[in-house]
Amino acid sequence: MAVFSADRSRRPAPPSESDAATAAGFPSPARDYFDGRIDLNRHLIRDPTSTYVVRVEGDSMAGTGICNGDELIVDRSLTPRDGAVVVAVVDGELTVRRLLLDGQRIVLRAESPGYPDILVAEPSELSVWGVVTRCLHHV
Amino acid sequence: MSEPAAPPGAQRIALVDVNSFYVSCERAFDPKLAGVPVVVLSNNDGCVVARSDEAKALGIKTGTPWFKLAESAPRVGLIQRSSNYELYGDLSSRVMELLGRYALWQEVYSIDESFLGLAGTPRELEAQGATIRTAVARHTGLPVCVGIGTTKTLAKFANRIAKQNRHLQGVCNLETMDPAAVEAIMSRVPVTGLWGVGSRLGTKLDAMGISTVADLRAADPALIRRKFSVTLQRTVLELNGTACIPHEDERADRKQLIFSRSFSTPVTSAAEMRQVMSIYAQQAAARLEREGQQASILTAYAGTSHFSERAASFPSATVRLPSPTSDPVILSRAAVGALESQVVEGVPYTKAGVMLSGLESAGAQPLFEEFVSVQERRNLGELLGKVTDKYGAASIGLGLAGMSTATPEWTMSRRYSSPRYTTEWSELPVVKAV
Repeated sequence: MAVFSADRSRRPAPPSESDAATAAGFPSPARDYFDGRIDLNRHLIRDPTSTYVVRVEGDSMAGTGICNGDELIVDRSLTPRDGAVVVAVVDGELTVRRLLLDGQRIVLRAESPGYPDILVAEPSELSVWGVVTRCLHHV
Repeated sequence: MSEPAAPPGAQRIALVDVNSFYVSCERAFDPKLAGVPVVVLSNNDGCVVARSDEAKALGIKTGTPWFKLAESAPRVGLIQRSSNYELYGDLSSRVMELLGRYALWQEVYSIDESFLGLAGTPRELEAQGATIRTAVARHTGLPVCVGIGTTKTLAKFANRIAKQNRHLQGVCNLETMDPAAVEAIMSRVPVTGLWGVGSRLGTKLDAMGISTVADLRAADPALIRRKFSVTLQRTVLELNGTACIPHEDERADRKQLIFSRSFSTPVTSAAEMRQVMSIYAQQAAARLEREGQQASILTAYAGTSHFSERAASFPSATVRLPSPTSDPVILSRAAVGALESQVVEGVPYTKAGVMLSGLESAGAQPLFEEFVSVQERRNLGELLGKVTDKYGAASIGLGLAGMSTATPEWTMSRRYSSPRYTTEWSELPVVKAV
């Protein structure tokens, strides 16, 4: 279920720093998990059971750096809060917008000029599919 | 998947399963499918293998050939999907990992159902059931039902009640129900509504005057054992609250074949895990061979103990095989390759398993020449079986060369397939920024 697979080479590992540290007399609690590489799964995915990657089509969120063709990391288990970028269901489509909950109104706002707000009349009509936690922007 | 502990006083068994699993997986990524009749078709788009409630209401039966429905589908608003086992396998492993977090022990029973050990007062258990249901819905978008009882058979029966009575909101604990109501349901439900009682057995029981669940519960266990089997005797005992159906590490039915084990000594290296996967896949292949079946999808998974103080890791991967097969070489490579990149070196894994799905009878598909592996031609499967029979499972290993886990060209018709949203980088769900 890894969204990213860290590339673990199959070569026998050279003696690692953690072994060296142990030899020098202070045991390392991380010893068993010493892996010199950064594993994006660990840093970008809070919970693999609720995390999905989606791809953006369109430019209505370009103002916040989310552009056509970018991938987003979405956590479906998070509670959508005021100001969160969310994937919402609008007319049967998964749509990315910023959620604004200002007192009485529920607004799904675009982040580019020329895209009108989507107003949600009733809280019961708001269907948030997931909360965006990261944008993997192509530079 | 973890070893069931001996149940203390207030321990109960829950059976959690996903409602119309394949259809629910399709709906999780396609909001347009909500509330409309949906069917999922078997390999090659042959016949119906799963139906939404709305499709059931149209009178569509499992096994109906698609060509009989195709013409009227647009008129009745019926939507069809080819089976997308990569998606189902991935969502299944998410659900199973999540369920394990709520349980004292867990026994994954099939792609979409799991037994769990829970503890608490009857009301607490009901609340736990509701919590589990909410968590699965939030994490995966899939609806589940939870049945709770003192035995697996009763948990399964409670699950049925939860499914059929909307006002229960998906959770039924037999112990919080009015005993008279449970009795009334048991005397209404035919004996074939029980776990493990098929229609042929039902006919025989009926002839003896045992036609409902209540009748079977009142039957003499010794007589049932003499006339039928120890299996059915267990059902009688379980209906009366005596838990006696053991944990099964190996199961096969129409839908899938599972081979899983917990390790007495944790597996802590990727190399060891490769061996485990290879052996499990070969065992599963041998079993397929015996059943005269072939698989089109393989799911490999492993996990650390839920009680592990140290790193939690639950690698899981689903791959579609080049063509339906029972070839141990192909299955072994697929299992090893699938899990390879996700196994964390040094983490103590306490269990692992291989699940084969998309099963069909060998010979159901015309085999294209190029997909008949050399090994299949040489009947290596049989040979491996002989060697392992003689020298034990670990005596023969297959090399790890050759098979890439990139999805091979699939030669079957999957005309109505949804994208493999969670397993293929090129097929991610699209979100509109408009």
